[in-house]
Amino acid sequence: MARKRDLMTPIERAAAYSKGAAIDRLPCVPIVGNTSARVIGVKVSEFRGNGPLMARAQVESYRLFGYDNIRIFTDLYTQAESMGAKVFYPEDETAYLQNPAIDDERDIGRLKPADPHRDGNLPHFLEAMKIAFGEVGGEVPVTGALTGPFTNSSFLIGAEKLARLTIQKPEAVCALCEISLETNLRYAEAIIDVGCAPSLTDPMSSGTVISRRNFEAFSLPYLKRLIDYIHGRGKSVTLHICGKTDKVWDLMADAGADCLSIDNEASLEGAKLRVGDRVRLMGNVRPSEIMLEGTEEDVAFAVKKCVSVAHDSPKGFIVASGCSLPTETPFGNIHAMLDTVREIGYPVETSRLAAANQ
Amino acid sequence: MANNSEDLHKKLSDAVVKMEEDEAVALSSEVVSNGFDAYEAIDHGLASGMERAGVLFEEEEYFIPELLMCSDAMYAGLDVLRPHLPSVDSEERFKMVIGVVEGDTHDIGKNLVKIMLESAGFDIFDLGRDISPEVFVEKAVEYGADIICLSTLMTTTMKGMAKVVELLKERGIRDRHKVMVGGGPISKSFSDKIGADGYAPNAAEAVRLAKTLCEKVPVGEKYGA
Repeated sequence: MARKRDLMTPIERAAAYSKGAAIDRLPCVPIVGNTSARVIGVKVSEFRGNGPLMARAQVESYRLFGYDNIRIFTDLYTQAESMGAKVFYPEDETAYLQNPAIDDERDIGRLKPADPHRDGNLPHFLEAMKIAFGEVGGEVPVTGALTGPFTNSSFLIGAEKLARLTIQKPEAVCALCEISLETNLRYAEAIIDVGCAPSLTDPMSSGTVISRRNFEAFSLPYLKRLIDYIHGRGKSVTLHICGKTDKVWDLMADAGADCLSIDNEASLEGAKLRVGDRVRLMGNVRPSEIMLEGTEEDVAFAVKKCVSVAHDSPKGFIVASGCSLPTETPFGNIHAMLDTVREIGYPVETSRLAAANQ
Repeated sequence: MANNSEDLHKKLSDAVVKMEEDEAVALSSEVVSNGFDAYEAIDHGLASGMERAGVLFEEEEYFIPELLMCSDAMYAGLDVLRPHLPSVDSEERFKMVIGVVEGDTHDIGKNLVKIMLESAGFDIFDLGRDISPEVFVEKAVEYGADIICLSTLMTTTMKGMAKVVELLKERGIRDRHKVMVGGGPISKSFSDKIGADGYAPNAAEAVRLAKTLCEKVPVGEKYGA
């Protein structure tokens, strides 16, 4: 069977979908980060300090798969690194945190917000965004990944220390979030200045990690100020939080997010019922079990299941992976995700998805 | 001043649940000064408190910060009581090596599993984070570990988990060490695929799984010094 082709660009599709006009298919975003290195045959570590290469990888990856959003992203640590955290870069895999910026809350005063045009790798990320936007920004939204204040704080002082401080010394956590927010705001400004929009990720704010009460104290106020700023610059905001988030969906919407990216550990159906009338939803095919380890048939089945559950969410639905894709995700599975969405088409006829519902 | 040991056990348990580290230390000292049995104070007091905290965690009343603070109280009490335990043959306890697989430094999950397993009476050798498959196997052999416990949050390390199982097979010692796996991207199907002995989705399940894998932990003498 011949593959169905897209009839609209991602920007045309998104605009029409938001107006309730006809579209060729639902928007679809397999969240591609370092997999883009595989698309152009380079090592992941070559992205470090190389904006043009990151841009080429992300643009080529978009052209290969035809998904609906480019997100310039390699790992979560870029802002913390620019504030003094040490990041380890394996030769050909995703980077990870080696050491936080400080070991003791008494050193919080030594931390300074980053200058995105000068510190760490931030200037290279901005260059990548600028190039990608210049090349394909007319047809597809180009976003820059931004790590939320609470999560960034965990990279500044260490996750366990931050967790204990939420109980022992809440004011220290607030001080860390405040300085992280300042970096976020400066970076958001720079991202928007090059034509892109920030895309927020805040995994430490997960209900798998902290309580709703802590979310209210340490996540919500800072996310809200960040999102208010981004809205003030005329951009909409997608907020991704990993793991279980059902207890804070309403607060994620209160923070002002326009779209919630729902992890595979949370229920799309629950999110639709609870906040689907306030925010667009995206999600939530399992990145590891299905996209990395599954067959193309597994992917098609999982996509149909997500679509059948969430296609009628009042503020709209984007088919997506539940989190960033693993670097080695087979291309065939990414194509399968898009092809299944193309095959389903729009409007969605639930009878044709019935097989996946059993 | 508590006048009997049962009363103290209850208070110790409560101190752990309420995250009161100083209180746990004071009560543990009281156990010692009264000449009460240290093993029982650990088992019915500190460990019972940690188990209750684990239940609250499962019920989503407690979260990671609370569980860490409870464990701080438990360990502070243990430091006081451990020197007063009768020495026992450590061969009686089941041994585990635990660590985060090479390519990842996220270790909160691993630490929670370690805390819950320790309070359940397992002898844990914590290898830390970013640990190569070779080191896991080497240390498991060195310590005579019954179980190798592998944790990760990043998919990039999943090959390393499979490698641990392969190395055990290559060395002809697969039957000597059970392998259990867990962490964000890990699933039961992945565990089956790489030939691990079991998968646990969270710390409480990890304790149940470890107990199943060991069939039974010897009664008594769990907390040898």
